[in-house]
Amino acid sequence: MAGKTIVVTSGKGGVGKTTTVANIGSVLAKKKFNVVMLDADIGLRNLDVVMGIENRIVYNLIDIIEGKCRKQQAMIRDRKMPNLFIIPAAQTREKNAVSPDQMKSLCMELAEEFDYVLIDCPAGIEQGFRNAVAGAQTAIVVTTPEVSAIRDADRVIGLLEADLLKDIHLIINRLNHRMVKKGDMMSTEDIISLLAVPLLGVVPESEEVVISTNRGTPLVHERGSKAGMAFRQIAARLNGEDVPLDTGNRATIFDRVKRFVWS
Amino acid sequence: MLKAIRRFFGERASGQVARQRMQVVLMHDRMDIAPDIMEALKNDIITALSRYMELDRRTIQIDLEQGKNYTALISNVQVKRVYRHRTSG
Repeated sequence: MAGKTIVVTSGKGGVGKTTTVANIGSVLAKKKFNVVMLDADIGLRNLDVVMGIENRIVYNLIDIIEGKCRKQQAMIRDRKMPNLFIIPAAQTREKNAVSPDQMKSLCMELAEEFDYVLIDCPAGIEQGFRNAVAGAQTAIVVTTPEVSAIRDADRVIGLLEADLLKDIHLIINRLNHRMVKKGDMMSTEDIISLLAVPLLGVVPESEEVVISTNRGTPLVHERGSKAGMAFRQIAARLNGEDVPLDTGNRATIFDRVKRFVWS
Repeated sequence: MLKAIRRFFGERASGQVARQRMQVVLMHDRMDIAPDIMEALKNDIITALSRYMELDRRTIQIDLEQGKNYTALISNVQVKRVYRHRTSG
C-alpha cells in the first residue's frame, strides 16, 4: 500500500517547519513506521543539522533527480532509528534545478517504499514552494501566534487550496500560555477562527527546542519535555489516533477572577 | 501594575488588538488573491439588483473600504429606472 506524502509549510521563515518535520518524523519512526524526510529547501538546507547527520552527506535530492546516484545512496539513516531516513537538499544549487513534476514523481516513488514521506518546504511562495507542494497529498501549515506568521499562513493556505490540495492541517508553534492568559498573545481559538483550518496541535514555547537543535537530537527523544509531548501528540493525530486536543488556555477560576478584576 | 492601570483606563489587551487587526488584513488579502471571486461577486450583485431595477452595467464599481474597526463593501452603480414589480430575471 502506498504511504502518505505530507508537506510541512508556513510561508514565513523561522516559524519551526524543520523542527516540526524532524520531530514528527522521529515520532512516526518510533511507532515503527518506515519514514523518509525530504529536505526541499534547496540552497538553504537545515534538516540535516537539526537531525545531526550533517557530516554524513554524500549525495542529495538533486543528485537523485539528475540520476547521478540511486535513491538509496542519497538516503541517510537516522542515528537512533534504522527505519528513519533523511534525504538532504543540495546546498550549492538553485531552486529551479528541480521542477514540480520531478518532485511529484520522486514523492510517488518514495511513497511506494515508505509509510510516511515528510517534505520540509522552504519559506516563501515561489518556485521552491511549488516544488515542495507538488508531490504532497496533505499539507501541514505551521504558524506562530504573531501577526506576520498568521498573515503568511493565510496566504499559503489560499495558494494550497487553489492548487487543489484540500487536506490542510494547522500547527500553532511557540505559544506562550502565560502571555495568552494575560491577553497579550492571540489564543489558539483566535488563530483557528482567523485561519479556519483544522488544528493538529499546539506546541508551547520552550527553551528545550533550542537545546535539542543545538545537539542535533529531536526533542521527542527527551522525556518530560512539554514541547516534545506536543509533537508526540501531533504525530499521533496525524496517524489517525484519537488524542484529545489540549489547547492549554482553559482559564482557571483564579484566572477568571484576575481577568475580571483587571478588565 | 502600570499595565493594570492602563487596562483600567480602557486600553485593550494586545492579543485582542492583534486578532481584530488580522480579521481586517486577512479579509483584504483574500480578496486580493482572487480577482475572479471579486468578479463573481460583482455579477451576483448585478443579478440580484437587476430583479428590482434597470442598471447601467458599465458603471458598477465594487470596493472594500477599510475603517479602523470595520471593513465595508461599497458598491456604486447607476440606476436607470426602478421596476414597479419585481421581475424574475
